Amino acid sequence: MINLKVTDLHKSFGGQKVLKGVTFEINGPELIGLIGPNGAGKTTLTNILDGAIKPNNGTVYLDGTRIDQLQPYQVARQGLGRTFQVTRSFRRMTVMENLMVPALAIDRGQSRAEINDKARDVLEFLTIDHLTNEYAQSLSGGQQKLLELARLLMLDPSVIILDEPFAGVHPKLMDIIFAYIRRVNESGTAIILISHQMDSIFALCNRLLVLDYGDLIADGPPETVKNDPAVIKAYLGSDDDDDEDSEATS
Amino acid sequence: MTKKNVPQVAGLLLIAFFMAFPFVYTAYDYPYIMHLLITGFFYAILASSWSMLAGYAGQFSFGHMGFTGIGAYTAALFSHYFYLSPEATNICTEFAIGSQYLIIVNPIGITSSTLAQDCLRQALDIWDGSVQITPMPVWLGIALGTFMGGVFGLLVGFLVLPLRAAYLALFTLGFVEILRATISAEIAITRGQAGIELPYLFDSGITIFGTYYDKTAKLPPYFVMFFLLLTCLGLLYWLAKSKFGLFVRALREDQDAAAALGVNTTKYKVMVFVITSMMAAAAGAVFAHYVRIITPNNLMILQMSLVVAMAVIGGVENIFAAAIGAILIEFTLEMLRNSFEIGPIEVDMTTWRLVVFGVILMLTLRFSRNGIISPIIEYFTRGHVAKETVAKRVAGSETKDAAND
Repeated sequence: MINLKVTDLHKSFGGQKVLKGVTFEINGPELIGLIGPNGAGKTTLTNILDGAIKPNNGTVYLDGTRIDQLQPYQVARQGLGRTFQVTRSFRRMTVMENLMVPALAIDRGQSRAEINDKARDVLEFLTIDHLTNEYAQSLSGGQQKLLELARLLMLDPSVIILDEPFAGVHPKLMDIIFAYIRRVNESGTAIILISHQMDSIFALCNRLLVLDYGDLIADGPPETVKNDPAVIKAYLGSDDDDDEDSEATS
Repeated sequence: MTKKNVPQVAGLLLIAFFMAFPFVYTAYDYPYIMHLLITGFFYAILASSWSMLAGYAGQFSFGHMGFTGIGAYTAALFSHYFYLSPEATNICTEFAIGSQYLIIVNPIGITSSTLAQDCLRQALDIWDGSVQITPMPVWLGIALGTFMGGVFGLLVGFLVLPLRAAYLALFTLGFVEILRATISAEIAITRGQAGIELPYLFDSGITIFGTYYDKTAKLPPYFVMFFLLLTCLGLLYWLAKSKFGLFVRALREDQDAAAALGVNTTKYKVMVFVITSMMAAAAGAVFAHYVRIITPNNLMILQMSLVVAMAVIGGVENIFAAAIGAILIEFTLEMLRNSFEIGPIEVDMTTWRLVVFGVILMLTLRFSRNGIISPIIEYFTRGHVAKETVAKRVAGSETKDAAND
């Protein structure tokens, strides 16, 4: 049973408090949307979960193991994988080599033949199997996005963080990514989906976490969160703000 | 033989050629050509190991000649300061090791380059020929130099962990300059700019297949350097094909992404520094014993630039291309020494050759960023990929069309 427990996370950069006591828990293969306006702290939270930065305070446990003080590679080996906002494929390596990196790094005792078979299955599912021996740099932007998702699957993660997987992708490709997310989730992997595309978030997720200036202001089913006054205020601004804006304009 | 096997066959033929060359080449300039080849092998080790460091792992270090210097100076100082004696001198610093005494002599000083100035000389005078002292084995000095290269590689590897790109290059440049300045300043120990002499690789000569070669013969050092090159290339190839090679290339492409995918980037970054530094140090120690002198000038940035240029012209992302590039450039630079006349104008190539070399480098960077040799190897090893990909695309679209029908 997957269990990601985030407790009272605080993070400041200089004097700026980016996360102010964020607490939530994921039990089982949930599909969670992490949303919030720009500067809400989504990327900082992701970087802490991934081990890239350390929190000032608070803890993160994955399946009973504390991971907030681990290095990113150790977090990945514990079973938490992520993608980046901007695609970061290994450009001067072939597609197959890109997939081999996580598979060999976690070393689950599989033979090369087994890893190869798995990689081919993943590439076939993501419709990029014909590019197996191509250098990643020769792939289109959308194909590179799929490649990044494929790499994650080779990690055998229990929790995946997808940072803006729909940004700048073709509608056809979006269908593939949708199918990917659903299939991976149904296979028993918890997914945290960060996106500014609300339609996609509402279509996919059964739970939403909303960050605003470092505070977790909402945590619940999409229908409830959508009507939460705090969320509406964070996204649309309050009536008072509107008044101030209109005064400033006039 | 398939197209894919061409590089392997060419490699084997090249090895056979270099193995046979010293026995079949008999021209008057034999020592000169042999010297060029030994020097070429030396640079090939440096260029190929630097290609692993910079081309594969993306660690653009200018410190490689520093590690060469560490290997060479360790071997030189070891041969100058350490001796074995069956009797205690009671004058020098000495330690009993079994039935022998390890004697450490005083600093050389500024004026002399042999042991004649030190406590050991006094002891030898007292013994009046009744005791034979033994210099330390050359191979042990080379091994120690290689080890010290690894130690410094480890140190630098850890120090540059947070540094990338230009900062890493500047740091390693600083490291070499500090090393060079220290060696130059410690005149009493290293003789500073005057350099320090080393014994021959085979001080008593050597017999190979029944033929005796004296200590000045070119053939023994030729094969020592050639086998060292083959060993380094073999090790580098094995590393490049193993998961080590895969991980260091991932490190080059994107360190953060590699870490997020489970690669211990710290470990591999330090490892690649240690391994390549040890190779540079081993080459430096052997070459110093061959030319029999090492000076701080060997660590100068100009020397490093030469190694970088050799690797770049050959192909920095392929260890074999870098090695071949080094040998070719070494020969080209020498061939370009021949001055010639165009009518009444005499072109003095001793000065112009470096200009020509610079132009070759600039043209390579401008028109073939992956070097000159590397694309040729790539043509044979990866030429099939594009065809396969196109074939699969066509097959895929035909299947889809058939399904739609």
